Amino acid sequence: MKLSIIEILLLLISDTAVVAILFYLYVQYHIIHTRMVYILIGLIFVLIVIRAALFFLGNWLFYRRRINAIREVVEEFKKGKFTQTYHAARIDNELDEIVNELMIAGKHLDSIMTAQKKEIDNFNELYNSIIFSISSYFIVLGDDDRVLFANDGFYKKFQFHREEIYDRKIEEIFYFVNARLKAGIAQVRLTGKTEVLEKTHLLTLNKVSVIADIKISNIVVKDVSQIIIIIDDITRKVRNDYQISLMSQISESIQKDDEIDRVLFTILTGVTSGSGLGFNRAMLFLLDDGELAGKMAVGPDSFEEAIEIWTAASSFSQDLEFRDIAAAEMRAGVDLLNRVLAARFPLREDGVFTRALLGMESILIVDSWNDARVTPEIRELMDVKEFIVSPLVAANRGIGIIVADNKFNNAPILKENIELLSIFASQAAMSIESYSNLDTVRGEMQKLSERQNAIVESEKLAAVGRIAAHMAHEIRNPLVTMGGYARRIMQLPKERSKISKKIDASAEIILKECERLEKTLSNVMDFSRPAKFIKEFNNINDVISDTAALLKNLFLERKVSVELELGSDLPLVKSDFNQMKQVMLNLIQNSLDATPTGGAITIRTGSDGEVININISDTGVGIDEEDPNVIFEPFYTTKVTGVGLGLAIVKKIIKDHNGMIRVANREEGGAEFVIRLPIPG
Amino acid sequence: MARLLIVEDEKHQRELYAMEFEDEGYEVDQASNGKEAVDLVKANKYDLVIMDIRMPEMDGIEALGKILSRDKKIPIIIYTAYSNYKSNFMTWTADAYVTKSSNLDEIKGKVREIIAARS
Repeated sequence: MKLSIIEILLLLISDTAVVAILFYLYVQYHIIHTRMVYILIGLIFVLIVIRAALFFLGNWLFYRRRINAIREVVEEFKKGKFTQTYHAARIDNELDEIVNELMIAGKHLDSIMTAQKKEIDNFNELYNSIIFSISSYFIVLGDDDRVLFANDGFYKKFQFHREEIYDRKIEEIFYFVNARLKAGIAQVRLTGKTEVLEKTHLLTLNKVSVIADIKISNIVVKDVSQIIIIIDDITRKVRNDYQISLMSQISESIQKDDEIDRVLFTILTGVTSGSGLGFNRAMLFLLDDGELAGKMAVGPDSFEEAIEIWTAASSFSQDLEFRDIAAAEMRAGVDLLNRVLAARFPLREDGVFTRALLGMESILIVDSWNDARVTPEIRELMDVKEFIVSPLVAANRGIGIIVADNKFNNAPILKENIELLSIFASQAAMSIESYSNLDTVRGEMQKLSERQNAIVESEKLAAVGRIAAHMAHEIRNPLVTMGGYARRIMQLPKERSKISKKIDASAEIILKECERLEKTLSNVMDFSRPAKFIKEFNNINDVISDTAALLKNLFLERKVSVELELGSDLPLVKSDFNQMKQVMLNLIQNSLDATPTGGAITIRTGSDGEVININISDTGVGIDEEDPNVIFEPFYTTKVTGVGLGLAIVKKIIKDHNGMIRVANREEGGAEFVIRLPIPG
Repeated sequence: MARLLIVEDEKHQRELYAMEFEDEGYEVDQASNGKEAVDLVKANKYDLVIMDIRMPEMDGIEALGKILSRDKKIPIIIYTAYSNYKSNFMTWTADAYVTKSSNLDEIKGKVREIIAARS
């Protein structure tokens, strides 16, 4: 071991001091004897002790300084800093060398650490700026599903303060957390794989709503599993896509749906867009007889109902069809719909509805409680602070209005919302216009079709006429000859002989048969000849009584009973008595032919003020046809000997009287004819 | 005594009319189609022609035209088994249109009426 200069100096001083003392004693007292020896030994001992003491003191000082330096270095190591300096006066021992090396190593490490720290700082800065600059919002959940962290974007977007969400569960942040998000988190915890939930609707407790792609990942920090939820706001994109898809849905609906109501519902559903895209409520009023009449409304009745709808339709996955949202909307808002349907607003210059309609421009009401343009009636119906009125303009005139608001999430009505509404309003206006055109076209088509049927029928009748005329001609000629000669036989001078009488009787039979056939021919020709009616005010009851009396013998012969239930005070109808008699005759004969012995025919008359009704029902075999009304077709017959014109004549006469005739089979058997004849105004 | 021309293609019918009108006291000539009728009208003077429509060789309509173009004053009664062309035939300036019937009362009455009116 090495001694320091001071130690050596001290040793020299102490040794010199002993020698000097001994020399003094010798010179002074000249005594060197045994006691002296003891004194010397004692002195030497003292000297040794002093020297030992000096030695230890020197060593202590020597090490103390270096250990302190090392300790400070270690302390700095612990802190990760290397600023301490230690300068040995002279490197003449190992310890100083080591301390020096330690210092150099420390410095070196310090420079490395500083460089790395700088690098880390740079990285941190970059990292932070990335986090802040990306449009995504994210939150980190701990293993108990409580929020550990959220980025500034999240706070800003959803209008939260840190303390409002820190250590909360996600259910306490969002109004509803749909099943997919929950299941997604559970799945990620289970598998450790990242899950992506596309187009998910989120609504926070403070009613900020977004459609987002949500990415859920698992990160493990210090053996603790954490969930990072990255929320990508795609509301705008989804809204655009959704609008395009809605437009096609709406135009499809217009082409497909017969009822304008469905088309309007589709449009209003588009305005409210089910979940998070559009307005909370939308109502449609159309100009009707100088008033704006409520026609359709879509939207929930309460905030709870709104949440219900949005939860049901909170995901815009690819396979989610518009109709699912519509179905959810359909369930809700019955009260709103009823109130709107009952609402009618007369056009008033000062009312906002009228202004929007006539001015053909959207009007945004920001504070309906204090806006003079909002009439008390409108205020009562809307019951909301802010709403927008958009006119429906077709062919450059206002035909109605759409009114929309955000009653339930109180979201302010933005420029983009107004744009959305005006798109749908113009679509709605076109739909309504095209629908009413379509309606007109349909009406025209119906008329055309009726006209065509009439033409077909008249063509049929014309053909019947030509055939009948030809047949009549061919048959009448021989009849005329036969009958003429029979008549001549009868006109021969009478002999009182038996044989002459027989000849006479036979000739008469021939003549009668000829006359009968000629009459039949006349009937056929009556059918095809344009009728010339003598229309007078007749009581149909009289016609029926007359006809029944005429056929009395026939009823008796066939053993069929006839019951007349003729309404009293039956209004008179303008009709040709003989033609009507023909109708009754043909109908009763027809029923009689269909009714077996013992059956009954019932004729009833009555009136409802506009028409008189004649019912003729029988207990016969009925009509074995899918549509019993075919029996009115010319030449339709089931009889062996019939021509098949009797009922066709009936129909023609009734039609010529602006009436209507139908036949149906009765449940209890037999057929029933129903005639309606208009009572002249 | 008034002289009639009966134009009818059916022999038995024509003979029946001839007998009936002779019984009524008229002098009756017969033609079996329009052509014969036109020839007879050229050769003789008739007080009245009873004309069927549908006949072979020349029908009643054509014959009517030819006879009228020769003598506008001769009365002609269309007497036919067609019942539904009355208004058409009347416009062709026949004096009357009667539908054939085994009962000859109507045609007899018409003939009487026209003859009486002319004399």
